[in-house]
Amino acid sequence: MRVKHQAAMALLIATVISGCSSMGVEPWERDVLAKEEMQLVTDPVEAGIDDHIYFSKEASSGGRGFGGGGCGCN
Amino acid sequence: MAKKNSKTISVSLATATCSLLGTSVTTPVQAQEEPGWDFNTALLYYGESDDRVQDVSLNILGRRTYVDDRFLTLGLVLDSLTGATPGGALPFSSPQTFTSPSGLAVYTTPADVFPLDDTFLDTRFALSASWQQPLSRLFTMNAGLTASKEYDYLHLGANFKLARDFNKRNTTVSLGLAFANDELDPEGGAPVPLSAMLDVGDLSNKTGDQSKDIVDVVLGVTNVASRNLLFQLNYSFSNASGYLNDPFKFLSVVDGTSGDPIARIPAPGAVGPLYEYRFENRPDERTKHSVFGQTKYYMDGKVLDLSYRYMTDDWEIDSHTIDARYRWPVGDSSYLEPHLRYYTQNAAEFYRISLVNGAPPVSFASSDYRLGDFDAITVGMKYGWKTRSGNEMSARLEYYMQDGDAPSDQIIGNQASRELYPGLDAIIAQFSYRFGK
Repeated sequence: MRVKHQAAMALLIATVISGCSSMGVEPWERDVLAKEEMQLVTDPVEAGIDDHIYFSKEASSGGRGFGGGGCGCN
Repeated sequence: MAKKNSKTISVSLATATCSLLGTSVTTPVQAQEEPGWDFNTALLYYGESDDRVQDVSLNILGRRTYVDDRFLTLGLVLDSLTGATPGGALPFSSPQTFTSPSGLAVYTTPADVFPLDDTFLDTRFALSASWQQPLSRLFTMNAGLTASKEYDYLHLGANFKLARDFNKRNTTVSLGLAFANDELDPEGGAPVPLSAMLDVGDLSNKTGDQSKDIVDVVLGVTNVASRNLLFQLNYSFSNASGYLNDPFKFLSVVDGTSGDPIARIPAPGAVGPLYEYRFENRPDERTKHSVFGQTKYYMDGKVLDLSYRYMTDDWEIDSHTIDARYRWPVGDSSYLEPHLRYYTQNAAEFYRISLVNGAPPVSFASSDYRLGDFDAITVGMKYGWKTRSGNEMSARLEYYMQDGDAPSDQIIGNQASRELYPGLDAIIAQFSYRFGK
């Protein structure tokens, strides 16, 4: 079952990459994308704070990045 | 000249996109950056209701930009934690006395109140350092170290990420690896799993230091779909092995018919619990798989940020997280950003609200509410503005609420009329200041 999940995930990512090649913009069309508010993480400190809060209070962590350890949180 | 600038912007943006994959503390990269330092700082207050956990946290992230898209990032977090936290026992119609985690004192919970351990007090320091640079025209690497220290806890970690651009740098594929080793050294020692809570001064159920190893792998794709739309898709694998218990959590031992705790008599002359409790035990390995998707969409100055995460693990916990933010410009130099987050998880297979006296022994059991069946909602608002000198400030206020249920097939006798899940309400208040750009 797990192998099946991983195979499905690999297939999904391969599909996304191949699908991605038909999208995109030319380098001179990146004016909006270059704005700070269009970065995937606009405030890295706030993202780190939220990750730490939810890591401490819920059974899930990571996803955006590494979910690893880091505290004996109560 | 205009074309050259565009190219610089595109290279910087691609680097920025790469830099946003793989680590939770990353730095957005601005186009055409000059070498120098910039700082991103925040003061946070996190406070739970009912005098539960209170945290005041100072966060500083400094970044040195070098020529050729190379960056050094240094982070410092200082947390001051106080307050009470659920130990894992159920409420009862009489007061309950518990031996504190150190084994050297007791604390008592009044009748009909959810038992909280108020002996909790800690200071946490966390440091991080990372270096990012291009390896060739299309490859970028990022290597980092992390460390954190609490009174009884030490974390050390290392991470590495490689990213490659495709499709005129509209698509970035990255692979990140992280390894961490965490050591626990609770005062008096970690309890023997499933052992009984003993009288004050009796440390015969304590063991020595414990540790765990955590390996994370994140495979990600970031893609620019159009001038106004980009998205990210990550798959994460995480394996933790070693001591995965919370040494401070325990369960009530109850009667199989009434559901009431089993009475206990401390040794002559000793002070100790008046009811039976046993320390928790979790499997010594946990493997998690997550899929995370995020999209950002720009609409005439406003930005919609939507993300979703699905997590599943071999403790049979599944969770779903949906996060939405909407950045709304107010005038030329400020914005409002409402935030909504919904989280839901089901219970771990070994989650138990109590242990039944005389029942066949179990291998694993925990009543930690974080392994239970619950939903959580966060509602928040942020206001950000640029100062006259061009620096940025923001203030945010959020409300976080958890609401859970005890599994109905675990509720015994009189337990049906009691509160069986602690729930949680918390306020998150934060002030941020960015300067040096």
